[in-house]
Amino acid sequence: MTKSLLRPDQPLRLVDTFPPSAPAHQAIIRVEDLSIVFDAPSGQVIAVDRVSLTVVQGEFVSIVGPSGCGKSTLLNAMAGLERPFEGQVLIAGEAMRVPRPEIGMVFQQPHLFPWKSVRRNIAHGPRALGKPKAEALRIADELIEMIGLTRFASAYPHTLSGGMQQRVAIARALANQPRVLLMDEPFGALDAQTRAVMQDNLLELRERINATIVFVTHDIDEAILLSDRVLIMSAGPGRILRDLQVSLPRPRSSAIVADAAYLALKRDCLDLIRSEGRRAFEQMEVKA
Amino acid sequence: MSGGGRSSASATARLSVLVAVLSVPAFTGVWELVARSGIVNAVLFPPPSTVAVAILEWIRSGQFFADLTASLSRVVAGFAIGAAGGIVLGVLTGRFRLVSSLLSPLFHILRPIPPVAFVPIVILWFGLSETGKLFLVVWGVFFTVWLATHIGVQKVDRGLIRAAQMLGTPQPQMLWEIVLLGALPYITVGLRTAVSISFYTLVAAELAGAFAGIVYRIEIAQQNMQTGQVMGGLAALGLLSFVADRAFATLAERAVWWR
Ligand SMILES: Nc1ncnc2c1ncn2[C@@H]1O[C@H](COP(=O)(O)OP(=O)(O)OP(=O)(O)O)[C@@H](O)[C@H]1O
Ligand SMILES: [Mg+2]
Repeated sequence: MTKSLLRPDQPLRLVDTFPPSAPAHQAIIRVEDLSIVFDAPSGQVIAVDRVSLTVVQGEFVSIVGPSGCGKSTLLNAMAGLERPFEGQVLIAGEAMRVPRPEIGMVFQQPHLFPWKSVRRNIAHGPRALGKPKAEALRIADELIEMIGLTRFASAYPHTLSGGMQQRVAIARALANQPRVLLMDEPFGALDAQTRAVMQDNLLELRERINATIVFVTHDIDEAILLSDRVLIMSAGPGRILRDLQVSLPRPRSSAIVADAAYLALKRDCLDLIRSEGRRAFEQMEVKA
Repeated sequence: MSGGGRSSASATARLSVLVAVLSVPAFTGVWELVARSGIVNAVLFPPPSTVAVAILEWIRSGQFFADLTASLSRVVAGFAIGAAGGIVLGVLTGRFRLVSSLLSPLFHILRPIPPVAFVPIVILWFGLSETGKLFLVVWGVFFTVWLATHIGVQKVDRGLIRAAQMLGTPQPQMLWEIVLLGALPYITVGLRTAVSISFYTLVAAELAGAFAGIVYRIEIAQQNMQTGQVMGGLAALGLLSFVADRAFATLAERAVWWR
């Protein structure tokens, strides 16, 4: 196992209660010909256009693409928060029509319940699922320790910094022991330093929790550092342009950015994004 | 330079505190002088000293507390029922399109009618009973609280609702915890407005016919030309609604405890 950056000495009890990993290479998320259309004042907007993709059990997949290309919409559809116009999303073989608690979500904003303390925010999920209060609080306390906010357990969200709030949001999503964790630019609003720390924390967390993670980001470095696969989306209508395997060894840390294989991969991505961005831009000019 | 400016600013501040403290006594003094000078009819416009005597007599006779109890219980009961109904229905109409389509048009038609205009029909329905008075206060409070809650519920951060959905929050908890608390800042504003509305409607309810109450006492005193008592009643009513408003403002600040 990797050496833990957070608490090398402390075995995490929570891990034991996570669902045991299913056979590897088994598809857990299947997006099939998914299209999502919004009614806007200017007419219909195709936010996601016939996207198909598969995520394997335990995989970490990032979705990268220009702003407004439909990444959040795609992720929301996986979460059951957005209805498909065509096609469907299957998670563990079941169509996503409404949110399911075994699918966790971390939004771009923390969206913590402002009237609840850190501890109660994290305990919310287990309580909602009918766990006894004592057990919910025990789960919360373990997660609080993991995210290093023990001193702030009874603090209210508005008294925390953005990075601390986002850590609480991650812990809150983990409290329900999700099989799939969806993350929508979770570090997008953070400064570079906090962001780097959070990335390392996530890498390490991932070694422990065995969840499948789909991670949306603008940041190529972040995507490559964290993922097994990077999906690059085209500018609207949102389509998957390329599916890149990241076969860099794990465990990784942010030191990876100096690696030659890493740089080659990054150049690939950037070229793709640049030409795609130019195409999108020209398209916009033609329309105007 | 700046030191001089600061000291003159603080002198202005001290002066305005002094003026504020002396404001009410000064006006009372002027009133006393004008009423006693003979410029105005002292029977119709009695001096504050006469008013004070009337208030003391009102309290000593024991009627004051009977009147206070009668009025307060109408306001408190009417406020509680109207506010509870307004909050419950506001959450439902704010959250469910179908419930809103059913009720909102009706509420929007009824809401602008001043509650006082219902006095005649209330007398036909309930006579001079307490139920009628309660009805008027409830009516006045309900629509204000309903509208504030309805709007507040629609303004609840969508992200909070989505986060709660993702965590498996069951529908009742979603409504009575996430949505209700999310709308609480709006609801408390509505409730505070409703406090003063409940006093307006109390006036109408007691003028329509009652057997005890502060406004009832004012009316009786008017019929007996006891203008001192009339003004004493007005002062009591003003003080009462002022205290209720301040108390509620303090409570409302505590209610939204996470700010
Ligand atoms: N509720 C909505 N109603 C109408 N149009 C919407 C709605 N949500 C998203 N869209 C449109 O769908 C498209 C995709 O939006 P989406 O939020 O998924 O983009 P994104 O890739 O997540 O962008 P960003 O990187 O800026 O977060 C955009 O053109 C947006 O305007
Ligand atoms: Mg987005």
